[in-house]
Amino acid sequence: MKKLFSTYWLMAVCFALLNVLMYFSIKKFWIGGSSFLPLIGVLGPEKKFLFAFVVNLGVIIGAFLGALSFGEFKLRLPAGKNIWKAVLGGFLIGMGVTMAPGTCTTAFVTGIPMLSVASFLSAAGIFIGAFVVYSFLVKDGGAQ
Amino acid sequence: MMLVYGLLFGIGFGFFVQRAGLCFAQGLSALFMGKGRRILTMWFLILIVTTIGFVMLGLKPVGQVRGAGFFNLLSGALFGAGIILSGGCVLGTLRQLGEGNMLYLIVFVSMIPGMFLQVKILDPVLKGLYAIQELNLAQVLPLHPLTIAGVICGIAAFGLVTVNRKEKRG
Repeated sequence: MKKLFSTYWLMAVCFALLNVLMYFSIKKFWIGGSSFLPLIGVLGPEKKFLFAFVVNLGVIIGAFLGALSFGEFKLRLPAGKNIWKAVLGGFLIGMGVTMAPGTCTTAFVTGIPMLSVASFLSAAGIFIGAFVVYSFLVKDGGAQ
Repeated sequence: MMLVYGLLFGIGFGFFVQRAGLCFAQGLSALFMGKGRRILTMWFLILIVTTIGFVMLGLKPVGQVRGAGFFNLLSGALFGAGIILSGGCVLGTLRQLGEGNMLYLIVFVSMIPGMFLQVKILDPVLKGLYAIQELNLAQVLPLHPLTIAGVICGIAAFGLVTVNRKEKRG
């Protein structure tokens, strides 16, 4: 059973099937960035961001349950040298996900499958931004 | 009641994401290092399953094209830079939080001033330039959505076979 639940590609397929099932059953799908807008008081039309926020609270709980079930949960405190990257990275993520809706992980798992033009453009931008930071900071060991 | 369904679906998503070890930030870094088989395999599979499912069930708008795509590219670049710096995409950050890595609580909290700056300060200034459009490929290409989905799934299937074949030979 552990081997089955550790087969990464199978778990990715299950994630995708669950996204389709959610759309089939309640006409909603997983979204990432906009789900955090309730943290600055923006709930969206028909409180759709609040719904997405609750879904993503569930993601944290689900990940906790998965990690706990398979002995992978470990409370880790951040090392001081990584904190500036977390703060700056988080800040840029916050700006990126709200400048144009559909940007972020949503583009890869929901937007492109929905044939969203915004998500194709965002994905191109994500590759560019990621590659620039990787080239300047990560590749030479400056940030890792 | 809808929020309860949302929470339950979220728990399912979180469980599968944790078991898959899915994170596009770590995946992109691996891809740039030439070790992208794992993330590409997962993404191609997700793409195939979800594209077929969504197109069969009917398309719905996701995201907005802003400023003829300029702001989408810019927002993507900011997000891409942010995830490589922090080491976690949105799903990856939530997953790592659930696994007990408190560094990602800092990432999570740091998103708040970024969102505040964008939504409360920059959006009111920039909104005249946004010219918002909600478009899918079927509206801009003279093709049926099923045809477009077929092409995307075909490319993903080809990619899936290629990355896995290459790894075996290597």
